[in-house]
Amino acid sequence: MSLQTIDTAMRSLTIGLVTAAVAAVAMATGSVAARAQDAGEFHELETKYIFGNFTVGSSIDEEGEKAFEPETEADFGKRGGKYGVSETELEFEYTPTQFMQVAFGPTVSYYNIHGVPGLDDLNAVAVNGFEAEFRPIIVDRGPSMPFAITASIEPEYHSRDETSGAQVANFGVENKLEADTELIKNRLFLAFNALYEPETTRDLGMWTKESTWGVSSALAYQIIPKVVVGADLWYLQHYDGLAFNNFTGDAVYLGPTFYWQIAPKILMSAAWQTQIAGREAGIVPANLDLADFSRQRARLLFEFEF
Amino acid sequence: MRVNSPCTNLIAGSFVLAAAIFTAGTPLRAQQAHALAITVKGNHFQPASLSAPANQPLSITIKNLDATPMEFESVSLRVEKVIGPGASGTVHVRPLAAGSYEFFDDFHQQTRGVLVVR
Repeated sequence: MSLQTIDTAMRSLTIGLVTAAVAAVAMATGSVAARAQDAGEFHELETKYIFGNFTVGSSIDEEGEKAFEPETEADFGKRGGKYGVSETELEFEYTPTQFMQVAFGPTVSYYNIHGVPGLDDLNAVAVNGFEAEFRPIIVDRGPSMPFAITASIEPEYHSRDETSGAQVANFGVENKLEADTELIKNRLFLAFNALYEPETTRDLGMWTKESTWGVSSALAYQIIPKVVVGADLWYLQHYDGLAFNNFTGDAVYLGPTFYWQIAPKILMSAAWQTQIAGREAGIVPANLDLADFSRQRARLLFEFEF
Repeated sequence: MRVNSPCTNLIAGSFVLAAAIFTAGTPLRAQQAHALAITVKGNHFQPASLSAPANQPLSITIKNLDATPMEFESVSLRVEKVIGPGASGTVHVRPLAAGSYEFFDDFHQQTRGVLVVR
């Protein structure tokens, strides 16, 4: 058996053990909370944001609903130096039909980079792009259909590189399939996402292409009415080229999630993830991929419906 | 010869995909809707349970007899509508599979009812 095969087997075992541990903790927490609460206090939830928003649920809100959603993703930590970058999407979200949701808005980024190998120092805030999102329902959940699937197609433009902050012209499309199901009615939810994001970037007159794909699984438990806690596990791979041309690295992220329906028209969703495994292509021994991905990442979203 | 840049291809491809999925996800609404009616009085739905046929579009007319506004809402029906005091409103619902679907008043969340589809 080769070293690479052993490495792959160990990686699969680690992911499996972590997933099982997360599921066990969630189920144990759930059984305690379930005894403490009257089941009648728990009602249906929109699942879109209950998984912390790295993994997204399938629901699309009610027809005619409009909302303002500031959402920030922050990345921390590279191989050395000090690295903190955030991007805030100022989204207007609208559900025009019972089958489709759209959203669009500008993005604002903050870069705090000092002494990171391969990156120029930068301390800047910039309006750096625009994103739109289309979310049609592919499989509709109902009494006879236990799971639902929604597609998400998100074309985006950035005038600064998301990682380095360098001035570029970057175009990408984040494509996702977002599936979820209820394991315990109105209480325990399980989601799966699949991601494929091709990007092309013009920097110093040259076009370069890259792509990221990934899969995720998340558990979310409504521990008291309108408050959901859970865990989210992601596996990501990065390639040069749009179609898996040259593998450059992969990463496994794991972390907790939190959702709170603060008021009937206001909610928050948060997640924090740490890279627990990963490798850069050509680097032996494998010890995280901090070139393509950050050491830690977080998301915080508020929704204000009007 | 005209050569598309990578970003042009990317954007064009995404819009073609979005259009295809949007078209596939949009239902035909030619079918006759089954009409249902419900009132709200004293922060209670009357009746609290509605029945409807499966696989047929529905229109639900809500009459608010209370002195305060209400918002008829349902996560699983994916509808919401604000109805002023003494006013009526109608929501249109896609054809549904058999089963139970909760609805509630988002302004008075203890006000709840159920639509039973057979």
